[in-house]
Amino acid sequence: MVSRGLKRLYTFLIFLFLYAPIIVLIVFSFNNSKSRGVWAGFTFKWYIELFKDAEILKALYYTLLVAVLSALISTVLGTFAAIGIYNMPGLSKKITLNLNYLPVLNPDIVTAVSLMALFRFFKMEFGLATMLLSHIVFCTPYVILSVLPKLKQMNKHLAEAAMDLGATPFYALRKVIIPEIMPGIITGCLMAFTLSIDDFVISFFNTGNNVSNLSIEIFSMSRRGINPVINALSTLMFVSLIILLLIINKRTEKNEIERGV
Amino acid sequence: MHTIELKNISKEYNGVTVLNDINLYIQENEFLTLLGPSGCGKTTTLRIIGGFEEPTKGTVLFEEKDITDIPPYKRQINTVFQKYALFPHLDVYDNIAFGLKIKKLPKSEIDSKVKEMLRLVNLQGFEKRSIDSLSGGQQQRIAIARALVNEPKVLLLDEPLGALDLKLRKDMQIELKNMQKRVGITFIYVTHDQEEALTMSDTIVVMDKGRIQQIGTPVDIYNEPKNAFVAEFIGESNIIDGIMHEDYLVEFSGQNFKCVDKGFRKGENIEVVIRPEDIEIVSVANGQLNGIVKSVTFKGVHYEMIIESKDFEWMIHSTIMKEVGTEIGMTVLPENIHIMKKVRAE
Repeated sequence: MVSRGLKRLYTFLIFLFLYAPIIVLIVFSFNNSKSRGVWAGFTFKWYIELFKDAEILKALYYTLLVAVLSALISTVLGTFAAIGIYNMPGLSKKITLNLNYLPVLNPDIVTAVSLMALFRFFKMEFGLATMLLSHIVFCTPYVILSVLPKLKQMNKHLAEAAMDLGATPFYALRKVIIPEIMPGIITGCLMAFTLSIDDFVISFFNTGNNVSNLSIEIFSMSRRGINPVINALSTLMFVSLIILLLIINKRTEKNEIERGV
Repeated sequence: MHTIELKNISKEYNGVTVLNDINLYIQENEFLTLLGPSGCGKTTTLRIIGGFEEPTKGTVLFEEKDITDIPPYKRQINTVFQKYALFPHLDVYDNIAFGLKIKKLPKSEIDSKVKEMLRLVNLQGFEKRSIDSLSGGQQQRIAIARALVNEPKVLLLDEPLGALDLKLRKDMQIELKNMQKRVGITFIYVTHDQEEALTMSDTIVVMDKGRIQQIGTPVDIYNEPKNAFVAEFIGESNIIDGIMHEDYLVEFSGQNFKCVDKGFRKGENIEVVIRPEDIEIVSVANGQLNGIVKSVTFKGVHYEMIIESKDFEWMIHSTIMKEVGTEIGMTVLPENIHIMKKVRAE
């Protein structure tokens, strides 16, 4: 038997290995020096500088704009798609589900390049619209995947029960089905929002016209030279994503408890 | 006037026939039960009446108007679903008020109707309770209240007591029957439980393999089953081949018996049905038939015994217990011998 102490040490080392880069990043975002190797005292100045930088603020605006819009649009698309898939007969359901998995498993770079090719083919101007479209494309499958389990959990006669009581199919959808799968819809929406903020590769290939989001901005800043503002910005992104992930996990956990898993 | 009439209803799924030429009418205030094993088409029949399935062929009439193509939300029919299908995100009040709100009734009227329904199902004061906090029996009553509050002409019930335990099921059977008498609407009830059907129904429709096997009152169905399937399905029975010699005289097991049936051809091969509780145990000398007790099982109210005679194994229900291995005599009264036309072997 391995002793308790040894087990703990092992776990600690693993997490240290995983989180060391982020810890260094966070620590040095508070470093009062341009140097990355020497600690020169605590400061908030990089954060202050960050919020004075017009380029970064513009990128933040685009990031949030694209994240909010793509999350909302992909949530609507994904929810209706999930309801459709749920009501499909056996074989077509299986095929559609697998087609839905494909973009999830596809390497980002492939999705990115293929979207770029598609936009080129339609002679679209690269910019906000293409970036938004590409985000909707890669977010929608995740929304479908988070709504479907909720539909499966639902008593399959609920829609019929509503219609039996005089509800038109649309009224039944609005008053019974949607409220019933709402937890799945919200989780899907949060997930889409997170994925959109998180994305670099697909955005990088499908934007233009001086439209860049935070991850593209960080990438180009780091090419221009070392700047601790990057650390501050990355720290903020990391913290906000961690918070979103915690919310999503909490929701999934609550769902599982409700289902008695 | 018939409340509901089904004319030549057939239903196919992907080439498989699940309903085959169903003809049925249901009268006002009738408690009608569709009874049969799973897969016999009883639920499909109910769903066609409710409007959730379209028949492949045939018409559904509601008070003599064709409603075959009318969607469920335009029919004056309400349903109590299997596992209730209550809306979990709404409380008890909003579940019951769901249909009334769609009809845009004034708030005060909705209030008083919901209250009245809760009184009918004995759940006063449950308005604000969430569905998840209710027991199975309570959910059952809410489902009935939610349907009845719309004052339908017909209430459809799809195995509504299936999920309840035995004691509660018995209570609910009586309660449902009383409720039906009180509100005076037509109930169409689906079950696979023959005892439930016998207890509650005015009319029983026995179904098997997508066809109606027999329509009749519970007493008729039990005492005069039309064929071997009905006899086997409704309670236990002894079914034995026999020959009809003349009116009121039948031969089976090598013996002639008096019976109360007539109208068969002379020498026609028939099947005889005798209920296990209709065979009386007597001494060997007085028996019309003799046999040896092969097994005895205690069933609570009675003993179930298997008696081996020379060409048949009889099942007997009796309060008298005979030891395994004893030879006994058996008699049957003429009115307890039921003659059925022989169904051609399939």
